[in-house]
Amino acid sequence: MEPCESVEREVDKVLQKFLTYGQHCEQSLEELLRYVGQLRAELASAALQGTPLSATLSLVMSQCCRKIKDTVQKLASDHKDIHSSVSRVGKAIDRNFDSEVCGVVSDAVWDSREKQQQTLQMAIVEHLYQQGMLSVAEELCQESTLNVDLDFKQPFLELNRILEALHKHDLGPALEWAISHRQRLLELNSSLEFKLHRLYFIHLLAGGPDKQLEALSYARHFQPFARLHQREIQVMMGSLVYLRLGLEKSPYCHLLDTSHWAEICETFTRDACSLLGLSVESPLSVSFASGCVALPVLMNIKAVIEQRQCTGVWSHKDELPIEIELGMKCWYHSVFACPILRQQTSDSNPPIKLICGHVISRDALNKLINGGKLKCPYCPMEQNPADGKRIIF
Amino acid sequence: MAVQESAAQLSMTLKVQEYPTLKVPYETLNKRFRAAQKNIDRETSHVTMVVAELEKTLSSCPAVDSVVSLLDGVVEKLSVLKRKAVESIQAEDESAKLCKRRIEHLKEHSSDQPAAASLWKRKRMDRMMVEHLLRCGYYNTAVKLARQSGIETRTEALQPGRGEPAGRGPAGHGHAGLPARHTHLPLQGPAGPGPVEDANPAVPVRQLPAAPAGEQLRVHPHPAGGPLGHQDSCYKEDGSSRSPDCPVCSRSLNKLAQPLPMAHCANSRLVCKISGDVMNENNPPMMLPNGYVYGYNSLLSIRQDDKVVCPRTKEVFHFSQAEKVYIM
Repeated sequence: MEPCESVEREVDKVLQKFLTYGQHCEQSLEELLRYVGQLRAELASAALQGTPLSATLSLVMSQCCRKIKDTVQKLASDHKDIHSSVSRVGKAIDRNFDSEVCGVVSDAVWDSREKQQQTLQMAIVEHLYQQGMLSVAEELCQESTLNVDLDFKQPFLELNRILEALHKHDLGPALEWAISHRQRLLELNSSLEFKLHRLYFIHLLAGGPDKQLEALSYARHFQPFARLHQREIQVMMGSLVYLRLGLEKSPYCHLLDTSHWAEICETFTRDACSLLGLSVESPLSVSFASGCVALPVLMNIKAVIEQRQCTGVWSHKDELPIEIELGMKCWYHSVFACPILRQQTSDSNPPIKLICGHVISRDALNKLINGGKLKCPYCPMEQNPADGKRIIF
Repeated sequence: MAVQESAAQLSMTLKVQEYPTLKVPYETLNKRFRAAQKNIDRETSHVTMVVAELEKTLSSCPAVDSVVSLLDGVVEKLSVLKRKAVESIQAEDESAKLCKRRIEHLKEHSSDQPAAASLWKRKRMDRMMVEHLLRCGYYNTAVKLARQSGIETRTEALQPGRGEPAGRGPAGHGHAGLPARHTHLPLQGPAGPGPVEDANPAVPVRQLPAAPAGEQLRVHPHPAGGPLGHQDSCYKEDGSSRSPDCPVCSRSLNKLAQPLPMAHCANSRLVCKISGDVMNENNPPMMLPNGYVYGYNSLLSIRQDDKVVCPRTKEVFHFSQAEKVYIM
């Protein structure tokens, strides 16, 4: 907040100065014009009468001239005074924001620029499809002459169609989709179909007592879900009692909450994405967000490294110099760091489980072999190195 | 959102990213201020000149008529001054207000309402994308995106045919007076099929940020390949450890991230392949006889008749055969 606030303070000052200057300028010029106008009128009447220029008038005229000169010059210099406030804005920006995003990335990375560009544009197109911005994606494909095959687009087009219908409170396409994918949805333990039926039922209820018969007959759709969602079905059937009174005044008024619609969109998106093997958030937006988190941290450490002149620490090649916290939702893969060597395990140096159940990396294990035997570093249990079992997370 | 960004983190990132966002309207403000000053000075000198002439005439006992006509001249010049002054001040004020609007938009990042904050983040991403697209010369796409994302007012009437040609000048080329300070970041190669000839540099870049920002979209996926745990699992030949949620495992980013440095992990973080949940004291990792490890809770959930089927090798084991492993 602080950087924004300091710049804002300066901008506010400038705005204030412009305001007062503008008012003052207009006022004084108007006054001046009026005064001169008066004088001119007097002179004009004198001209008409054919009288020569009187001494007083002459004096008044020269006073007027002086006044004009003084006023306009003051206006010019007053405006000049505002300059310092304006440049303070610039200085505040320079002070509070970093003008260079530098040196965090090694240049070698972008070597095959052309290909990288293509791949990046592709990632952007994918992102746009996933966000539902289909027309923008199409435009980008055209402008960058990228070809996206239909199989890739197809699921997004469908998803988007259904979501748009849901936004208009039309459950039809979503229900169709859910029913056709019923089996796979059940495998995922998704209750999407039930929720859709439920929302439709509520939608009928909201139609008032005339819809009672229709609602009742629709209720048979709940049958296959009776076991899993018994309680919710009971609640809905119970609400029928209040249909004549109006649901809004009944204890069941919460069923009419509009948040259900937002929720159903979310549930649908989540389940559909799982079904398609996609993540809910596009890869580009997750990487962008993590880049945003990482950038200041890496720049800070770069500054520290340069300050302390130990540039060898970060070679840009293998690993980032420090850990960047992104939150637990970003733990996509398991990472095992050998507690002894403090290194990540890999295919060439896999984690090994010892007989006692402790896990260390193979390199660590080899280092601990003493005279053909191995002592676990955590519990002093002796064992045969060959008894170690490679594990896979 | 998958990546957690606290208000403090957002603030830090703001410092690093948003320099051009504010600097460009500031430069416009500066330019307009100077123009206003010039206008006022010029008109003031005109008025002074005419008044000096009048004074000279007065000192030599003139006819009233000539005084009147000179006075008319003075009135005229004064009116011109007034008009020009008002116009110039309006222009400066406008650009100062733009600065203010941008700052207010930036302040939204720390809004108390979570909806506002996440909307801000989404707009941030869209902003960067628009800038990147403009730098690539994809003018129409950029405009469409800006419009759809509701950030059009920020780009303020992008003029057609004046998008940034790909392959803009060498380092040192000015952008509205801003030296291009991006010697570390690779500039684009010679112009591609951009729709524009070299436009007057001063004009389009009112809205276009200085080069570094345009590069930011490319810089971002860079560090991202890092912290996102870009590691072996994303690059296994048979794609066996691909995770649908992991961005580095996705097609395009996989290729982009390959040359990037790995993330740095000093501590183990174990994730169960079945449920995606973390494995720790509450969900201890269990090893099946084939060496594959899963969370205790997940094994419970896939247990049937006291047997479990390893999801990756399809081998069947007894539940009791699972051994606890200890991770320090």
